[in-house]
Amino acid sequence: MVEGSNTFATRRNVRRGPNRREVLATGVAAAAFTGFPYVSRGYAAQTLKFWQFYAPGGGVPSQEKWYEDVVKDWNNSHDVKVELVYVPNNAYMDGTKLPTAFASGAGPDLFIISPGDFLRYYNGGVLLDLTPFMEQSARDDFLPNVIANRMVGGKIYGLPYEVEPMAMYYSVDAFKEAGLTDNDIPKTWEELLSVAKKLTNSKRFGVLFETNPGYYQNFTWYPFLWEAGGDFQTKEGKSAFNTPATVSALKFWQDAINTGVAPRKPLGGGAWDTVPNLGSGYCAMQNVGIWAIAQLREGAPNFKYGVFKLPTPPGGKYITIGGGWAFVANRKGWNPKAAGEFIAWSLGSPKDGSVGRIVDWCTKAKSDMPPTKSALDAGKAAFESGFLKIFTNDIYPGARAEPRMPPPVYKAISDAIQACQLNGQNPAQAAKAASDQIDAFLSGYKGAPIL
Amino acid sequence: MQDRSAKTKEGVHARAPSIDRGPRLSNRARERIAGYLFVAPDAIGLMIFVGGPMILSLSLGFFSVSGFGEYTFVGLDNYRRMAGDPLFWGSLQVTILYVVALVPLLYVVGLGLALLVQANSKFNTVLRTLLFMPQTVSLVVVGLVWQVLLIDKIGLFNQLGSAFGFGSISWLGDPRFALATVIAISVWFLMGFYMLIFLGGLQDIPREYYEAARIDGAGPIQSFFKITLPLLSPTSFFVLLVSTVTAVCGSQTFDLIYIMTKGGPANSTSLAIFYIYQQAFLFNEYGYAAAMASVLVIILMAITVLMFLLTRGGRFTYG
Repeated sequence: MVEGSNTFATRRNVRRGPNRREVLATGVAAAAFTGFPYVSRGYAAQTLKFWQFYAPGGGVPSQEKWYEDVVKDWNNSHDVKVELVYVPNNAYMDGTKLPTAFASGAGPDLFIISPGDFLRYYNGGVLLDLTPFMEQSARDDFLPNVIANRMVGGKIYGLPYEVEPMAMYYSVDAFKEAGLTDNDIPKTWEELLSVAKKLTNSKRFGVLFETNPGYYQNFTWYPFLWEAGGDFQTKEGKSAFNTPATVSALKFWQDAINTGVAPRKPLGGGAWDTVPNLGSGYCAMQNVGIWAIAQLREGAPNFKYGVFKLPTPPGGKYITIGGGWAFVANRKGWNPKAAGEFIAWSLGSPKDGSVGRIVDWCTKAKSDMPPTKSALDAGKAAFESGFLKIFTNDIYPGARAEPRMPPPVYKAISDAIQACQLNGQNPAQAAKAASDQIDAFLSGYKGAPIL
Repeated sequence: MQDRSAKTKEGVHARAPSIDRGPRLSNRARERIAGYLFVAPDAIGLMIFVGGPMILSLSLGFFSVSGFGEYTFVGLDNYRRMAGDPLFWGSLQVTILYVVALVPLLYVVGLGLALLVQANSKFNTVLRTLLFMPQTVSLVVVGLVWQVLLIDKIGLFNQLGSAFGFGSISWLGDPRFALATVIAISVWFLMGFYMLIFLGGLQDIPREYYEAARIDGAGPIQSFFKITLPLLSPTSFFVLLVSTVTAVCGSQTFDLIYIMTKGGPANSTSLAIFYIYQQAFLFNEYGYAAAMASVLVIILMAITVLMFLLTRGGRFTYG
């Protein structure tokens, strides 16, 4: 009886519970209904993926909102939708996210790049020609010196939405504390080092230049090279780096470190970051771009500061550099035509509201100069007030576009800057070594022109 | 428990008749199969996710790779380029310095801490936890916090230094100090892990040996050199091997450099692994980077084989 009861109970249990096949089938069905849409999302590709680094909860909420608004407006009026994909800043700039995505054939449909990265992606054959998506008047609207480094052979491969000229910022309180006035604002390199010395004390450096190696450090050093009359390349395509101008620009930064008026390491993310450096009192003057206005407005609203244009070397001419990011589309993406239309609609089509978008970005979301004539006119009131006015009238007119160069040229220059600035190398030797490397590379270079 | 046996007519319990499934495997064979089955998931995973990419990476070293889907066979060009690349040799030099300093330091500090906290007490439990704690923190956070602590002039270390009359030192911005600083931070971060490994090794040594040595009149130093160190040989071998691999190509090493110095100042902390990363992901020189990675793997394999040969796989000989 006992055995019979057990057997009955066992059978009853088998009948009542699901068997293995049923469990598996249920699992597959559940996965199909729940998990599969996520797993197969990449293959479904119903939207254009737009990679950028202005994530919700980031440093400046207004910038993230601008991106969201642009995409929302597009999605409300177009069948092909755009989806924002946020990539952390570190993984985007100098990171692996974009390169590995393209290397595996899974690059985004839309992304943003700076001129420093343009040749890498153009020479890789992934940038879409945006010219056919724009009217002639819209193409002409972009300032020639701004759009030039996004063009190859008369065709436009990227539309910028900002121009970011470099300048010098100073702490008003630090100036007062050192007994300096607006009349002491340095106009030459020599004066800058002398004023920096007066501002330096046991807890503060007089001036801050970027010291972390990378594209950004090169970007901030180029205007000093240009001011001294130097350049990278001759018209014949040879290196123009081994000149007295290069030597003096390298020596200027070296002197700032050797005299103890500039730190060897910046605080925060780097010398582009003003709140932890100038704002915290770590330095009294900082070499940084126009974006610092928005940074200080959001991060240190009570901090009193002033802005002045880059000082010049003896006999030199004032020049600054105008960087900035641009929308680009992947030629090998899911729907290149729609991606091209999106970029043209966003930034290169006045009838669709592109002028207002650029003005909003440059005056509300960020603090930048606009890349188009129409935006400069439309936002005149904003560009003619506050600190932007100094940029509009004094700083921006001397801007030269950020150069685009292949990575080996960038690396040779970066090593020269680092060796002189932080390792005490003779600038003449460093200039020659870099020039030889650039020449060796240029002799075999076959990509788009270096500008 | 269900009784699987059945009663025979004679009332004797007997096993239920089993289904004939052919010749039975011996216990040894069954154990061997079970062993292989247990190892299989790991082995297959390693083959797919480590072995496969290694072979692909080795092959990639013979190609020029654009990073956008174009592959051109270039034979040994990448290896020739490497021979004439001063930055590659510079990065190898920095790597050797890093390994030569870090591995012995980790060994000594790890073992020293393990000896310090091996006795079971509440205080030691807390101390062990504190020493292991850096391992639980994200390396990004570690890098950022140390950057602030070591910053020029106003960092905690410089403030302490100036209180004792020392001038400001740029720990991470001066090529004379940057590598040493990174090594010190690496030791601080990794020491807890190696302490735990050594603790495991120490606990395997029977206490009777120490008691016998004490009765024979041996002091703590003699016991350490005659009992502890010899019996820790397999652990030492493991620690030396793993710390060497970590120093050459560990993700911890790379992360610290990436966060704190970006290979600077003036390439003074540009380890080979970081230079390979730059070539691959910043310069799109995937073929060249793969060739350098292959050389690095070969060097590591040579070191490993040498260590195995010298120690017969961790079985050191003494006397």
